[in-house]
Amino acid sequence: MDRTTDLLGNPLTVDDIELLDLYRRLKALSGRADLPPVATANVKQAMVMLWNACNDLALLHEEPGCD
Amino acid sequence: MPAPTSPYWNPKTETLPKDQLRALQLTKLQRLVERAWHTSPFHRRLYEKAGVRPEHIKTLDDIRRLPFMTREDWMDNQAGKPMFGDLITRPESDAIRYHLTSGTSGRQPLRVLDSRKDWSWIADMWCYGFWGFGIRPDDKVFFAFSYGSFIGFWGAHYCCEKMGCLTLASGNMTTEQRVKQIVEMGVTVVCATPTYALRMGQTAEKMGIDLKRDGKVRRVVVSGEPAGSIPAVKKMIEDMWGGKCGDTAGMTEIGTIMIFECDHQPGGPHIIEDHFIEEVLDPDSGTPMSYGERGERVVTSFGRGFIPLIRYRTKDLVCKVPHTHCDCGRTGDIYEGGILGRVDDMKLIRGTNVYPRAVEAVVREHAEVEEFQIVIQRVDNVQDEITVKVELKPDQQDCWPRLQAQLGKDLADAHEGLRFNVEQAKTGELPRFELKAKRLQDLRPKY
Repeated sequence: MDRTTDLLGNPLTVDDIELLDLYRRLKALSGRADLPPVATANVKQAMVMLWNACNDLALLHEEPGCD
Repeated sequence: MPAPTSPYWNPKTETLPKDQLRALQLTKLQRLVERAWHTSPFHRRLYEKAGVRPEHIKTLDDIRRLPFMTREDWMDNQAGKPMFGDLITRPESDAIRYHLTSGTSGRQPLRVLDSRKDWSWIADMWCYGFWGFGIRPDDKVFFAFSYGSFIGFWGAHYCCEKMGCLTLASGNMTTEQRVKQIVEMGVTVVCATPTYALRMGQTAEKMGIDLKRDGKVRRVVVSGEPAGSIPAVKKMIEDMWGGKCGDTAGMTEIGTIMIFECDHQPGGPHIIEDHFIEEVLDPDSGTPMSYGERGERVVTSFGRGFIPLIRYRTKDLVCKVPHTHCDCGRTGDIYEGGILGRVDDMKLIRGTNVYPRAVEAVVREHAEVEEFQIVIQRVDNVQDEITVKVELKPDQQDCWPRLQAQLGKDLADAHEGLRFNVEQAKTGELPRFELKAKRLQDLRPKY
């Protein structure tokens, strides 16, 4: 978590930071190969939803295709 | 979930001041072009041929340095490198969805793939529209849609699940069964093409159901046809259903909607400008049109990872006006009158331009009409004749020939005096449609 501003240059709010933090944690978790399918698949779904929120709020603009 | 009192799905970006909105678009455009350059061989070739590189995009105006992308290019690419061409940025195994264009124009359908993120984004664009039109988590939303390979309302279905609405699918139902369920379940929102919303209303009448009295529908969301923004069509739908009718428009190439009517209904849908750049250009010269001038929509989409869509020529005819035409607070500009038709669906009849949407706008002013069809023929190999065949509502048979004369006059008045033949069709003679209606038959020889 190193960003301090959104894509528009506005300082991140407490809520923004929490959303980004959750997204990054889920992204890391969804990349693991040692979890059972039930965990991997559902964590990926959750990660995608968080990506969607962060992307729409202009907190990040990551390549949408990379799951 | 936005606070239930928020009129916006995404208050932050839907109300961004224009300068900030443009800055956001530029950032997204730069990253999109960079990504396309590195991951889509199709785009790399296109840009190399045009002598443009990602670092050339320094301002929003630099978008015009990028070459157009056309449906023909896409189809050729697919045909040359089956099944998806080398336009796609990721391996097929990353996809979770496969859809096809509707093939309305009779051409080879386009094949599209979407990843998890793409699909979530697709649903989210619909959320902008549904929330903006006043749909909320406690609504019961019914989809009069076939749930096939055409993308249609698929994204809208997932949008409603995301918002927390009770979502009712009806892929396998007859029109009568749909009407029955809408009433029985107390459905509050119905989604359909404008044509099919009218058809369900007509069917309800035949079943002895008064949707205004017996149903609870407060919103009808239409999509898929230009008729969704014709005031007379909307009024017919609202009179039948008792709820507000709002238009949306999207395309399979984008995967979702890019415009929607807000609850204020200023006479056209807002553009979702934090996710799309919508240019309006002269279809012949490619030069930008000013506010208030008609031109072709050219779209750049930031959301779909599998398929970069950059400066895609849609052939949709539109007229952009500033966001200030609406007082809802959104800063996305507006397409006045929605999608006005297709650049290539204009018919030239004895020197006069005729657009099917304009004919429909006149025909739908007459409430006695249940269905209609436009037929163009060449008589004696010389003269083009245009005929509007009209099927009357069962209880309106007495209005002929008064309606015939009036409709002929109204159509001529709207088309520089061009003579239209108006003929009565038998009850049930004309085709009915569920998806995109095809009401025009051009029977002239093709040379």
